Amino acid sequence: MPYETVYEVFARKNRGEPLRHIGNVNSATDDLARVYAYNTYDEEKWFDMFIVRREQFLEVFNRGDG
Amino acid sequence: MAELETHATNASDYAHPDALPPGVRDDVRDLILSMADSKRLLGMRYAEWVLGAPEIEAGIACASMAQDEWGHARLLYALLKDFGEDVDALEHGRDPAGYRNIAALDREPDTWAGLLALNAAVDGALTTAFEALSESTYEPLRTRCAKLLDEEKFHAAHALAWARRYAGAEDSRAALAGALKEVMPSAFAWFGPADDAESRLLDARIVPGDREAARGRLSARLEPILELLGIGAPVLAEPDWAGWDPARRRTGGGAPDAATVERIRGDRNREFLMD
Repeated sequence: MPYETVYEVFARKNRGEPLRHIGNVNSATDDLARVYAYNTYDEEKWFDMFIVRREQFLEVFNRGDG
Repeated sequence: MAELETHATNASDYAHPDALPPGVRDDVRDLILSMADSKRLLGMRYAEWVLGAPEIEAGIACASMAQDEWGHARLLYALLKDFGEDVDALEHGRDPAGYRNIAALDREPDTWAGLLALNAAVDGALTTAFEALSESTYEPLRTRCAKLLDEEKFHAAHALAWARRYAGAEDSRAALAGALKEVMPSAFAWFGPADDAESRLLDARIVPGDREAARGRLSARLEPILELLGIGAPVLAEPDWAGWDPARRRTGGGAPDAATVERIRGDRNREFLMD
């Protein structure tokens, strides 16, 4: 079995609104992650939804670095 | 505009059971009841795996799919009111032998692969039927198909994504292949033989195609999964119809397990039942 990856989930309620970070899911594959994101955050009626592998986030800066 | 036209009522449409040609009324009722019972049972099978799924997200997916199936079942039972049925008695008053579900749903699957097989083949068979009914002349059924089919997209995606994952290792591949081989015959047989009921439904254009077309569509739907698992062409051969019970849409008798039916009927919550 492939290792689990954390996927961050983004969605918006209406066209043109900024995307909102709404949570994350763990999954071994991209296609399963899509299904999990849809099922986990299905209480709201979203206009669209995206997932991004957490490892794909590139840090620009972090004021907590000290 | 195109969407409006799709939902428009044609002169040849049937808006109410009383408008249906003689004989067809009972056929449509039987079809709706079999789909409702199958969806109610399928919802139970998904729900039984909420806590036993291999990962938390998969359990959440099962909870979500269970809710969808129960919603669809509720909607279908409600359609039977127009046929003069006592919907409350149908939902809460029947013995296991009275259920008309797809036979593969009789027992809780004892493995995750078994649940995935129901997800792919049984949920797939029902969705195949609804795709056809989105062109039905029976308006109360046709107008409810779009939302239902929209929700089903992610049920199919769940089955395919897990099949892709299970195909990656020999043990899991063999387990899912075995589970599908067990479940597929009753899913394909559920579309029924060429009988008088089918002819009446076709003549009234309640369904746009015959059972062979339906089996072909289910086969096409399952093909990507079966290919991943290295299983040959799906069961397209004419099933053995000896002992076929047209009302219960199965051969060889059998019924859902009593404990599940007790939970479905809500025996322990009967005092809280409201209109």
